[in-house]
Amino acid sequence: MYNKILQIKSIEHLNDAYFVIGIELGESALEILPGQFFEMKRPEFAHPMLRKPISVYDVQGSTVFFMVKKLGKGTQQLSHLKAGDELDVLGPLGNCFPVKDGSMAILVSGGIGYPPLFYLKKQLETAGKTVYWLHGGRCNDDVFPADETWTDDGSCGKRGFVSDGLSAYLENVTPDVIYACGPQQMLKAVHQLAEKHQVPLYVSLEEYMACGIGVCHGCAVKVKTDCEIGVTYKTVCKDGPVFDSREIVWE
Amino acid sequence: MGVNDLSPRLQTRLGKLEMQNPVTVASGTFGLEYDDFFDLNRLGAYVTKTITLHPKIGNPAPRLYETEAGLLNSIGLQNPGVDEFLKSQLPELREKLSIPIIVSFSGGTIEEFITTLKLLEQAQGIDAYEVNISCPNVEKEGIAFGVDALVVYELVRRLRALTAKELIIKLTPNVTDIAGVAVAAEDGGADSLALINTVQGMAIDPLTGKSRIKMGMCGYSGPAIKPIALANVFKVAKRVKLPILAMGGICTWQDAMEFFYAGAGAIAVGTYTFVNPKACMDVINGLDKHFIDNDMTLKEIIGKVYL
Repeated sequence: MYNKILQIKSIEHLNDAYFVIGIELGESALEILPGQFFEMKRPEFAHPMLRKPISVYDVQGSTVFFMVKKLGKGTQQLSHLKAGDELDVLGPLGNCFPVKDGSMAILVSGGIGYPPLFYLKKQLETAGKTVYWLHGGRCNDDVFPADETWTDDGSCGKRGFVSDGLSAYLENVTPDVIYACGPQQMLKAVHQLAEKHQVPLYVSLEEYMACGIGVCHGCAVKVKTDCEIGVTYKTVCKDGPVFDSREIVWE
Repeated sequence: MGVNDLSPRLQTRLGKLEMQNPVTVASGTFGLEYDDFFDLNRLGAYVTKTITLHPKIGNPAPRLYETEAGLLNSIGLQNPGVDEFLKSQLPELREKLSIPIIVSFSGGTIEEFITTLKLLEQAQGIDAYEVNISCPNVEKEGIAFGVDALVVYELVRRLRALTAKELIIKLTPNVTDIAGVAVAAEDGGADSLALINTVQGMAIDPLTGKSRIKMGMCGYSGPAIKPIALANVFKVAKRVKLPILAMGGICTWQDAMEFFYAGAGAIAVGTYTFVNPKACMDVINGLDKHFIDNDMTLKEIIGKVYL
């Protein structure tokens, strides 16, 4: 884990909402695992103070790519970067997606949940697994290449929720594992389907963060434990962001 | 540079506690995880997260929200409880750190504070206590201990009887008369004071009306509260003789200097460590250079603000 100021190698705008930043990380890029993330901000801005957590989208050689969605002030500032500009990065942070025995994995993503699964898919395919990917979004801008795509407004792919697609798919195919990343409600629906079909599910969670390294306990997720009251909080940044969905208290 | 390479110009004293330099960390904002970024034994002292008698799982999410120049937090004193702290956390801290360890603790009743301190007193390796009195007093309808001077006097007096170690009382700024509370702590037998704890704050989504923080009101920290902290330190320093450990929005060595002039003998970096993981080290090095360049010592400037 390190905190560095690096120069942007590339920036590509995919549409009005999404863009991809490339940074050169040298040999340390090789150690980054699917599911991990970095916190980043532009050093010249005092506000926001805190870096924003951004998942690793891809690693090509020593270059690491991050797909970012413009959401608030921090990500808006990132969207105006140009090649050669400085970026303050802290990482790599968090755990990673576990790669399990078995040959067939399903990926389910919603909106900005797409990037961590992209890098995971590469790893799974390198390991010789068959992958089927369902991706959903609100509208056309939220859609990226997958085996099956869904939008709320029907502007791209099928009309409806990606969890509807997963529900139909699981009637015919039983995968060895499901990996998912996206909005809380989508993850909850995927969790219920995984439970119904008895398939292990690993979810990558998102929560407002400060330190990124497990110190401040700001990014809390409620999980089951065997203690007296049965629940406790874990940190998304250090204990996660990837959790076994059965561990989480879905509210 | 090694631990002993700093000039003696930075040495300070917080009551009974000798510190190699005046820079420590604000409770709840620091952990051994920062070992990856700098040698933690360069700090003046280490302050733990607040420990309570029983484990606390903390508050529901969202717990954080950044607003202009500050950070709102509502962690809820999440901690494993004093038994687990003594069993697993303190031995690890003591193994890794050669600097003074200040244990922050709190309670919901005076009896809880007392029981916790008795347990802590049985352990080896604690150099000082920071008593967090900003938490709700269960016996006084949840009003924080730290707002009532009589309660503070009684609490400090009873804790004082249990320990000979440095007893630091951490004050809340969410009061009408912080100096009155400081005097009560001094009369009760405190060795030193720490101020300020977070300022009460809140944020709401303007489009939906939903509170940004699940618990509603919460604690505000970061650069936005520095002027508030400074005024409180100035006020308290005029009324009590006790040494002051100051915190509230300190990011740079220049911020630290302001607090020394206002009356603090030591300072803590809190929220800003989340922005710059080695902020404490930068403050220490900045102060060291400034004191050498200007041929001055920390001791000669404490409280020397002029109007």
